[in-house]
Amino acid sequence: MSDKNSFTLKDVSKTFEETQALSSVSLSIEQGEIIALIGPSGAGKTTLLNILSNIIQPDEGKVRIYGKAAAQYSSGRELARKVGLMRQQFDLVGPLPVIHNVLAGKLGEWGLLKSMISFLFPRDKDEAADALERVGLLDKMYDKTSNLSGGEQQRVALARLFLQKPQAILADEPVASLDPARAEDIMSMLVQMVQQEKQTLVASLHSIDLARKYCNRLIALKDGSIYFDLPTAEVTDQQLTGLYQLMESKDGATVAAFS
Amino acid sequence: MQHFHKKNILTGLLILVFVWSLFSVQWRADLFHSGGQSTFLHILLGLIQPDLSTDILQLAIVSSWRTLTYAVAGMSLALIVAFVVGILASGILTKGKTQRTAIVGFFRGLLGFMRAIHELVWAWLFVAAVGLSPFAAVFAIAIPYGGILGRIFADMLNDVPAAPINALKACGSSRWQLLMYGYIPHAAADMLSYTMYRFECAIRSSAIMSFVGLGGLGYQIQLSLEDLKYDEVWTFMFFLLGMVIVVDLWSQQLRKRLVA
Ligand SMILES: Nc1ncnc2c1ncn2[C@@H]1O[C@H](COP(=O)(O)OP(=O)(O)O)[C@@H](O)[C@H]1O
Ligand SMILES: [Mg+2]
Repeated sequence: MSDKNSFTLKDVSKTFEETQALSSVSLSIEQGEIIALIGPSGAGKTTLLNILSNIIQPDEGKVRIYGKAAAQYSSGRELARKVGLMRQQFDLVGPLPVIHNVLAGKLGEWGLLKSMISFLFPRDKDEAADALERVGLLDKMYDKTSNLSGGEQQRVALARLFLQKPQAILADEPVASLDPARAEDIMSMLVQMVQQEKQTLVASLHSIDLARKYCNRLIALKDGSIYFDLPTAEVTDQQLTGLYQLMESKDGATVAAFS
Repeated sequence: MQHFHKKNILTGLLILVFVWSLFSVQWRADLFHSGGQSTFLHILLGLIQPDLSTDILQLAIVSSWRTLTYAVAGMSLALIVAFVVGILASGILTKGKTQRTAIVGFFRGLLGFMRAIHELVWAWLFVAAVGLSPFAAVFAIAIPYGGILGRIFADMLNDVPAAPINALKACGSSRWQLLMYGYIPHAAADMLSYTMYRFECAIRSSAIMSFVGLGGLGYQIQLSLEDLKYDEVWTFMFFLLGMVIVVDLWSQQLRKRLVA
């Protein structure tokens, strides 16, 4: 286990009641990698991302985040400097103006007094304006966030990540609810930011096209196990067909779809 | 499915109890006492011809002002108490399960106690304790209304959607920052509109309260009733109605501006 890794997982398993969401998953992710997590729904992508972001703990196995065992992160503040999150939607504070949602990226750095003052007289406004300009929303700085469209809200979430500046970004279906053109927009902005800041990105994606276009490594999950984990260039169409093929035959025996 | 059945049975039972309660009232001709009909006519006459003499109007204005003052002061105090205790009772600032259970239990209990006792009873208690002073009226409103508002505030804070809160946590927010940037912005509009609704109720309570002898519209209504001057009663009633309508319009405006 090298310490320069962003994430290292060893034999990680997670069961919810009856369902085995992950079984014995091992992988390591280096700083600066841009990775797509793919696989049919229910494969365990969200569960894996939640384990990487320390939101849930595995039943078995070891998780290291930036060289430190996941359980040793005692404060959310410390973790927020390492790992930033992006989700499908609805994770902005709708009634607040856009600028406060962007500045929320700074809450981990700010003390209580500064955040109170900023609530009335926004602090670090230039930084927020800069981030909003990058995502093309400078003119919406003082709009009520819930009045923005889905795509615009995802761009605000991106601007928030600009201010948070974590070392790695974990994104769970960041573009799933958007039309193809918007999805492409957000994805390219996200990847551009990650490259500029030399961050690590792990994004679960529905669209294989987006995954192939923007990511240099694909990790495929199927029924809670890693189906393949390869550089994008080495993934064949046959493997992808196998990934999304129905796995269970009638008597419950698994059918080998990939050899 | 089973849940559905249970619900239906419960609904049926409640309807039966309701119907039974209707029969337990004796709907007979002597519902009005003898002479009741002529009194009723008198009251109707007053409604058509309320007393609009300057003396009575002046009295109505002064009494309305007093009633309004009690309601505003009582509500302001209630709002502060409800805000602080409501946040504590929601448990969003607590750390760990045992601490949460203890603090939430204690403050929910406190709010329950405050609102379990009616404002009129509080008024009697305070009049007994501090005499006929405005403080008696203000506290008598502040305590039960603080209890009601606090309980509703706590529920509203608990109903804030989880996703934005979790996202703020992932940015490294402390619990106080979560409160300020997540919980309160989400609940503020509902909190305000509920407070305004309760403010209407507080005006009516304040009027009733003055029956205890604390002055205000209710006291004037009582005096006029004793003198059988229904035309004066109606004048005071119209002032009470006017205040409630004005507060309602004001709260509609506020709500519109907040939600936009
Ligand atoms: N909190 C939970 N409780 C019960 N089952 C869960 C929970 N979260 C996930 N699962 C189950 O675990 C499996 C993997 O889910 P998930 O990680 O969400 O897959 P994906 O994100 O790839 O669609 C699914 O079968 C899902 O039903
Ligand atoms: Mg998922």
